[in-house]
Amino acid sequence: MSVTDPAPSRCPAVTYSPHEQRPVGEWTAFFDQLRAEAPVVRNTFANGYYVLTRYEDILSAYQDTDTFSTQAVTVMEPDPSYRWIPHMLGGDEHRQWRRQLGPYFSPRAIDGLDDRIRSRAVGLIESFADRGSCDVITDFSFHYPTTIFLELMGLPVGDLDRFMAWEANILHSNGSTPEEIAHNRTTAMAAVYEYFGSVIADRRRRPGDDLVSHAIAFKVDGRPVTDDEVLSYCFFMFMAGLDTVAAALGYSLYHLATHPEDRARIVADPALIPSAIEEILRAYAFTIPARKVTKDIEVAGCPIAAGSMVQLPIKAATRDGSAFASPAEVLIDRKPNNHIAFGAGPHRCLGSHLARHELAIALEEWHKRIPDYRLADDAVITELGRSSGPDTVPVVWAR
Amino acid sequence: MTIDMDKCSGHARCYGTDPDLFQIDDSGYALRPGFEVPAGGEDTAREAAASCPERAITAQ
Repeated sequence: MSVTDPAPSRCPAVTYSPHEQRPVGEWTAFFDQLRAEAPVVRNTFANGYYVLTRYEDILSAYQDTDTFSTQAVTVMEPDPSYRWIPHMLGGDEHRQWRRQLGPYFSPRAIDGLDDRIRSRAVGLIESFADRGSCDVITDFSFHYPTTIFLELMGLPVGDLDRFMAWEANILHSNGSTPEEIAHNRTTAMAAVYEYFGSVIADRRRRPGDDLVSHAIAFKVDGRPVTDDEVLSYCFFMFMAGLDTVAAALGYSLYHLATHPEDRARIVADPALIPSAIEEILRAYAFTIPARKVTKDIEVAGCPIAAGSMVQLPIKAATRDGSAFASPAEVLIDRKPNNHIAFGAGPHRCLGSHLARHELAIALEEWHKRIPDYRLADDAVITELGRSSGPDTVPVVWAR
Repeated sequence: MTIDMDKCSGHARCYGTDPDLFQIDDSGYALRPGFEVPAGGEDTAREAAASCPERAITAQ
């Protein structure tokens, strides 16, 4: 990387492409290095954006939504034409959506889903347990949260293949040229919108006990929500709930495949699984959210103008030694572990409790059936400098 | 224990550590802004307070 030293010196410029694939762990090390250099850096890539690197500043930014707004949440799109619901709403409108969605995503509501989640996990793991090898990502990680998503949204499991194809085109660059990738993404997005449009029309006629039907009954400012709002909410659920769990599961099994001592501990004592998950979420945090700054501010001596895009990489925060002792070490029984892997402030990940259950159940059922496994000898694993997980985690075990 | 209700964002980590003491509402947010810790429960309560990602909980 190249670091020049313009004034103000508290805000060095760097240039890197977040789309670059690097060997697993290297992007995490890169953000650790940025933190060591400065509390704020400016990436000159594309239209340019700021990156905060320290826990305190990142936590404060997430908590201050008036200044660090979700009206734009990807650095490449400072003036988006879309408004994902509820994520990109602010203030009271956001609060009203969250208050109505909360009961369906609360710890107690999610407790009630455990049996259904478990049967999905068991079905998938048993489909490859006898093989002696699998790719955690393609054989397990992507299917698992997607089938649960279909179930919660009241959609037929037969639509899984269609969803998997849309997911590949929208969320993972699919194609051999930038033009082809963009075309595939746009086409798939239109298809997802069309699909959910007909689902919403159907649920208005015949409401059921699912997250689409519940949302149709919501009110904002005393008026019923519109079809467009419900559509935007459905699309955001698709964007938020699939790749995230897949990435966390990928990193979890990658860590346990490469750290036999941690694996032996959770196999011997499955009660350790929830705290192991918290620690893996902290040490392998993979989301790199962005916010739009609404007024001229200064962070750690670096002036940031209104309208700028700012990244708040979770891994920069959760691996900061000022917040966590031995931050680069994975201590599966770390206490306390008040990390912000699910963000912080009013926009804290709505699905955090569901994600935790999905991850815990997946690791419990996996280790009951496949307690001893390792990375395949020829494994080549890469990750990106934007929100994403490992591209592949090939593992082998004795049949 | 005092909970800054404006800071609570429903992580429910406190509830996960000490569900009897740190009660939550139907959405998973703190139900009570302040309460006494029963004798003998101090260590668990302190651990629950320290698990809050928002740093919204103060032990006195």
